[in-house]
Amino acid sequence: MITTFKLMRQVIVHPIDFYHYIQEQGKITWGQGIFVVLLAYLARMAGLLLTGYAYETQETYEISFLHEFIWIIVPWLTWTVSNWGVSAILEGEGKFKEVFVGSAFAFAPYAVFTVPITVLTNVLALDEQSIYSFLINMTFVWVAWLLLLKVRVIHDFEIVKMIWITVLSIIGILIIWFIGLLLYGLMNQLVHFLIDIFKEVNFRR
Amino acid sequence: MKNRSKFRIIVASAIAFFIMAAAVPMQASAATPYEGYTINKLGYDVHSINGYVYKGSIDGYGLESGPFNAPEDIFVAEDNSIYIVDTGNSRIVHYTPDLKLVKIVGDAEGDGKLNEPKGVFVTNEGVLYVADTKNQRIAIFDAQGKFVQGFGKPDNPLLGATFSYSPSKVLVDKRNYMFVASDGNTQGLIQIDPNGQFRGFFGANHIGFSWSRLINKFILTDEQKARQKVVKPFEFSNAVQDEEGFIYTTTLGTEFNQLKRLSPVGVDTLNIGNRRYGGRFDAGPYSVPSFLDIAVDNDGVITALDLQSSKVYQYDKLGNFLFVFGGVGSQNGLFVTVSSMDQSADGTIYVVDKGRHRVDMFRATPFADLVHEASRLYVDGRYSEAEGIWNEVLQLNSNYDLAYLAIGKSLYKAENYKEAMAYFKLANSRHDYSVSFKEYRKEFIRDNFTVIFVLLIAVIAGLRYLVPYVRRKIAAMLANRSRDKRMKLQEGVYHDHNI
Repeated sequence: MITTFKLMRQVIVHPIDFYHYIQEQGKITWGQGIFVVLLAYLARMAGLLLTGYAYETQETYEISFLHEFIWIIVPWLTWTVSNWGVSAILEGEGKFKEVFVGSAFAFAPYAVFTVPITVLTNVLALDEQSIYSFLINMTFVWVAWLLLLKVRVIHDFEIVKMIWITVLSIIGILIIWFIGLLLYGLMNQLVHFLIDIFKEVNFRR
Repeated sequence: MKNRSKFRIIVASAIAFFIMAAAVPMQASAATPYEGYTINKLGYDVHSINGYVYKGSIDGYGLESGPFNAPEDIFVAEDNSIYIVDTGNSRIVHYTPDLKLVKIVGDAEGDGKLNEPKGVFVTNEGVLYVADTKNQRIAIFDAQGKFVQGFGKPDNPLLGATFSYSPSKVLVDKRNYMFVASDGNTQGLIQIDPNGQFRGFFGANHIGFSWSRLINKFILTDEQKARQKVVKPFEFSNAVQDEEGFIYTTTLGTEFNQLKRLSPVGVDTLNIGNRRYGGRFDAGPYSVPSFLDIAVDNDGVITALDLQSSKVYQYDKLGNFLFVFGGVGSQNGLFVTVSSMDQSADGTIYVVDKGRHRVDMFRATPFADLVHEASRLYVDGRYSEAEGIWNEVLQLNSNYDLAYLAIGKSLYKAENYKEAMAYFKLANSRHDYSVSFKEYRKEFIRDNFTVIFVLLIAVIAGLRYLVPYVRRKIAAMLANRSRDKRMKLQEGVYHDHNI
């Protein structure tokens, strides 16, 4: 765990070095990636609870732990799969593990800075909102920048190719989501069909 | 023996009492057939005490005028006398407040004969302006009910060739200019001067911007454009004027801003942004209310009648929801087909039920009187005077969000920011909370300046000196430990055969 925090410090302070470093053999584990994402989720939940009253955008009973979890886990996993797949086809060097853990570590600034920024909403009035939104948007930009950096360093791409791969990855994410929803719908129908058959047979027994 | 007879007497008298009680007709109080509600800050309706209850009806039976036939409009004059537009019988019936017939207008043969009039306006001098719909004119009668003159379809190139005139409602301002709402006319109220000349349209509704229309304009051919549905502004259904000369209008066919307060230059001064009036779920899910009539009292309280739900909605001068009553049904207090409403100076609300050929009267409950009084003071900005009354309102109904907001504002004005924050939180008003919070923060920092300043210095000093010191210590300790370890490894440990 101490090493994970040290790695998080490195990705925040020297991101390029960090992404070179994790490509060396045996420097990272799967668990570290999952740990950072869980940390980001915890930060998100803590942020929701710590927000000052004036800044709350949803009522307390409207907050869903599962919903927030899905909105962090699903984009991360689909991005990992999609980015790895696209890069593997287009001569990227990255291994799946590196993409998996590297993307997770891109959440590090979010996990670290969300809580202090949200605590700030307790002492800010609504007309000072620009301070809050600037800081929180900065963290999002930072995370996005780390993701781009990860694509460039891990797969060893040029700038232009990096942008191209990113665009393709996003399209890939949308396709995965579409297929996921489609499969969900079909499976739902199938399950209902089977249940209905069972009921029908049971009824006429 | 004696005890026993005493017991018998008690039992017998108790039985006699209960029989008597059952025989004496008690005042039956039926529940109101509609449920009152108020709207909280989240936009949900919350059960509330009814603001208005049914008082009685006027249907003409047993009165000198005889029964009504599909009445379309009612006008309550300054002296509380009532003018009912009896459309089906083509006449205007004038009653005193205690329902004595004063006069019947427009049923005599001659120039003044009305043909299915739909609206009436009476000036302070008692002059009647009648929207004589089927005759396509505004007919004017003097205070005695004698026909004076009629103004037919205005003639002006601005009106266009296809203009069809069907005056349904009329109002007259202090200059004796007539403002006519004509059925199907979407260009606004028609202004006619005292000589019968057309003086332009007033306060028309506008068509908002729409992306789809813009895109259509560029990509469609002329032929396709011709086949498109023509977009027209929404139509006014009614208009009334208040003491200060503002004209309140009701608009048909739109979800937002159906009620407007138009300044003398035709600008809406009631709504900021899009506001929904009426209930979205009162006539089925996501219904669009069709407001038919509106009344404004001297304090600026707005009462409006919706055809879809047959409910009457009441708002304060700022457009905050106060009360709702009525509904579709055949019990007293519900309506079959509503057509119009008005309010007398004593607060009685008259609702015309065209489908049942009668006029229903409603009186304000004590709760409504309380809210009206509080809201009058609140709207005038006399928050501290209103505070006590709002507290009484809250005792009767603790779900009345407007009261929390009003009390919060009163506390804010009294510079009691911390309590104001608590009330704004209860009222769910984040903006007011934040404004109050800012003041509270200022106060807090001023009061605790020394403590905050010392803490700040301590934190800075800690970051500058203490933290680096501790870090150096820990680093040194770790270095020592690893050196010891290395030494041990080099020297070997006693009994350790692996090294």
